[in-house]
Amino acid sequence: MSAEELLNQYGNEYVQALFTTWKLTAISFSAAFVIGIIVTVMRVSPIKPLNAAGEFYIQVFRNISGTALLMLVVYALPYINVVLSYFSCVLVVTILIPSAFCSEYIMSGMNTIGRGQFEAARALGLTFMQIIYRIVLPQSLRASVLPLTNLAVSTMLTTALASQVPMKPTDLTGIVSYINTHAVGGVTAFVISAMMYLATALFIGWVGNRIDQKVRILR
Amino acid sequence: MNTSQTSIRDILYEPPGVKTKRMIQVFTVLSFIAVMLLIYVAVRQFYITGQLDARYWYFFAKPTTWIFLGEGLAGTLEAAVVAGFISFGLAFLMMLGRINNIRAFQAIARALIEFTRGVPTLLLVYFFFLVVPQYGITLAPLWRISLPVAISASGIVAEVLRSGINAVPNGQREAAMSLGMKESHTFLKVVFPQAFRYVIPSLIAELVIVVKDTTFAYVVNFPDLMQNAKVLISNYNAMLPVYLVVAVIYIIINYLLNKASVYAASRTDSTTNTAAS
Repeated sequence: MSAEELLNQYGNEYVQALFTTWKLTAISFSAAFVIGIIVTVMRVSPIKPLNAAGEFYIQVFRNISGTALLMLVVYALPYINVVLSYFSCVLVVTILIPSAFCSEYIMSGMNTIGRGQFEAARALGLTFMQIIYRIVLPQSLRASVLPLTNLAVSTMLTTALASQVPMKPTDLTGIVSYINTHAVGGVTAFVISAMMYLATALFIGWVGNRIDQKVRILR
Repeated sequence: MNTSQTSIRDILYEPPGVKTKRMIQVFTVLSFIAVMLLIYVAVRQFYITGQLDARYWYFFAKPTTWIFLGEGLAGTLEAAVVAGFISFGLAFLMMLGRINNIRAFQAIARALIEFTRGVPTLLLVYFFFLVVPQYGITLAPLWRISLPVAISASGIVAEVLRSGINAVPNGQREAAMSLGMKESHTFLKVVFPQAFRYVIPSLIAELVIVVKDTTFAYVVNFPDLMQNAKVLISNYNAMLPVYLVVAVIYIIINYLLNKASVYAASRTDSTTNTAAS
């Protein structure tokens, strides 16, 4: 099938699929970012149970495979009376996994902050929470823009898991399997989706670079 | 990672005073209770829905269950190792293109790297599963999963290799050239072996991504851990326990790989330090 025929027949589906992928990526990344910050604060806090819980959280979700987690959420959780819509199931997976990596990146961003900063902050009499919110987080976030940009791209790649559940409208990966099981889409159906992913990834990369240039701390 | 975490915690706060100690104690107790409550709620949910019944768990006491899961694990590792090697080969070529002086090669390599990093593995899996057969090419299930996983990882591996090449001091190359070694000889015998040592930790970490991606094997009917888990589920009608156990197996494998990467990193650091001193 030529690209023209494909777009005539499935053009609307492609647009919807693209928006689904964008929507999943945007929601997942924002939520993962917030959870990542909370988990990071838990991990550096002086409270032992919170350290342990945070550490457990990131070890689980950075090491589990996306498929295994999706299967658990979609097919196994209903057995303990937790029933979510397919869309929410995908969201749970694409939030939890990137959030663990987000915390890791912010942690390594923290290590770029000089020791003297903490000593100065304490000398000024700032409390732990004040040090975290006024000194640590702003600097470590500014230092981790590029890793977080890569995280946004990999979040987008993770949303391809949406094709594994019967979700309507499906995402950019799901549409390739949909077209190829209904018609002979050939390589074109694949290339269209790939280009849309690629354009999105390049756009995210461009935005990330712009932000990095604006906020990077020159040391 | 671990050393940096302790260091950040150590410098974040000084030894607490009397009041702070009291506060920390209160919050420790409170958060401990909260964590316990969460665990209690989860276990209770399992209990009241009957998921803790022996009929859902007894087959984990049978050796056949573990042999079957072990076979699946062997499949996963086979696919991961094959994908790892292919990926390394592809990455090596892309890296050569990237550090080449010829503009056209650089552009092609950059385009390929961007492509592999911007397209999800699953889409590539569908490409090899649904699209390639339409052109009359039939691949064995092992290749249907290894090839897309390898291609997907190759772009990042290429960048990792390139960062290793850049980390090798220029004097090494110059010394080799002044001994009269050819350019290609210098690269293969002097520069690349050193670069490779620098990036071993990153390459091990990359294996984690490869192992995770091989879970798509069930899409192409390759008998990996996930696929065998599905068979177990239909045999014993125990969805939750099997998926839970499989998830834990994946977590343990990748956790160990990450630990190996950290260990390798600590070793390379010490060896480079002694070499420098």
